[in-house]
Amino acid sequence: MRISSLARKPKQVAATASEELAVAPPITLSERSSTGLALLRIFVGYLWFQQLFWKMPPTFAGLYGYVVRESQHAILPGYGALLQHTFLAGCPSLSSPVGCSAFVPLAACVWTAELLVAISLLFGLFTRLVALLATVLSVQLYVGLAYTEWIWTYGMLVLLALVLVAVPAGRRLGVDLWLAPRLQAAGQRHRLARIASWFV
Amino acid sequence: MHTLRRGLLAGVLASLVLAMFDFVTDGVPGNGLPPVLRWFGITIADPAISHWAGLCLLIVLGAVWGLIFGALQRDKLITAGRPLLTGLVLGVLWWFIFELVLTNILNHASSPFSLSFGRFLASFLLDVLFGMLIGAIYIQWQARPATETS
Repeated sequence: MRISSLARKPKQVAATASEELAVAPPITLSERSSTGLALLRIFVGYLWFQQLFWKMPPTFAGLYGYVVRESQHAILPGYGALLQHTFLAGCPSLSSPVGCSAFVPLAACVWTAELLVAISLLFGLFTRLVALLATVLSVQLYVGLAYTEWIWTYGMLVLLALVLVAVPAGRRLGVDLWLAPRLQAAGQRHRLARIASWFV
Repeated sequence: MHTLRRGLLAGVLASLVLAMFDFVTDGVPGNGLPPVLRWFGITIADPAISHWAGLCLLIVLGAVWGLIFGALQRDKLITAGRPLLTGLVLGVLWWFIFELVLTNILNHASSPFSLSFGRFLASFLLDVLFGMLIGAIYIQWQARPATETS
């Protein structure tokens, strides 16, 4: 018994050492890396910002052709039909949104969401929350348009948005720099502030 | 003096970000730079020179805005809110003076305050961002952490 106990000891020590080695050391981003990611965030925000101008209100006509293409080339079964029964409901023509019953209000929602993404990423305001929204919008574009253009075009947009979900890029060169410590402090007392602090 | 120098550098860097936006637009890169010259009634026929002169003038104006920003901070130990707010206000001022009033006057618009929604959207957000960047860059130089890692 003693012998076996002694024999086990080196194994236990070895196991503990290997467990320690298996733990990845923590990563801390330097100021330079954080600032680089903040610049990335600003330019991704500018990317979304620029895309507002070819589908301006009140008609959002520029968006129409893309929605039609999405309805014809979607990679998810049923997604095309969903678009046809929502955005394109009652549309008499595939070339113009005139006469569509729901296109303008739904296009206004898309445009507003993209404006929100652009503003939030440019200013670093609730960056991670809005990066989630950017991910949803990008995935939607990927599902609808991936095979009509270079396959990675929208894939890269999804990946860029995911980077900004993962990293708090608004805490440098952004309003989140001011917001994050306040929300974290308020999060000690208020649940809502604690939840909000996840998104900066 | 220290705050003035920091403000000046923050203004230069923020104006460089603004200038970089002109190189990721559709059409000819740098097309937004010659209009900076036109704010002061300067027109240069050679497109290459007008682009470079526009870039230089934009940086000079950024430096001036940064100096104004630095002067407003007055060597105080500040929290993040104050420089961000000051920057935002200076960004709005930049938009009002250059993009609204001077552009309308030089384009002989019916009123110095005439503005379409598209022009407002295209100019206002980016100019306010410029101001916020001055404030944010200034804050980052105020308190640098002791440890630099990856």
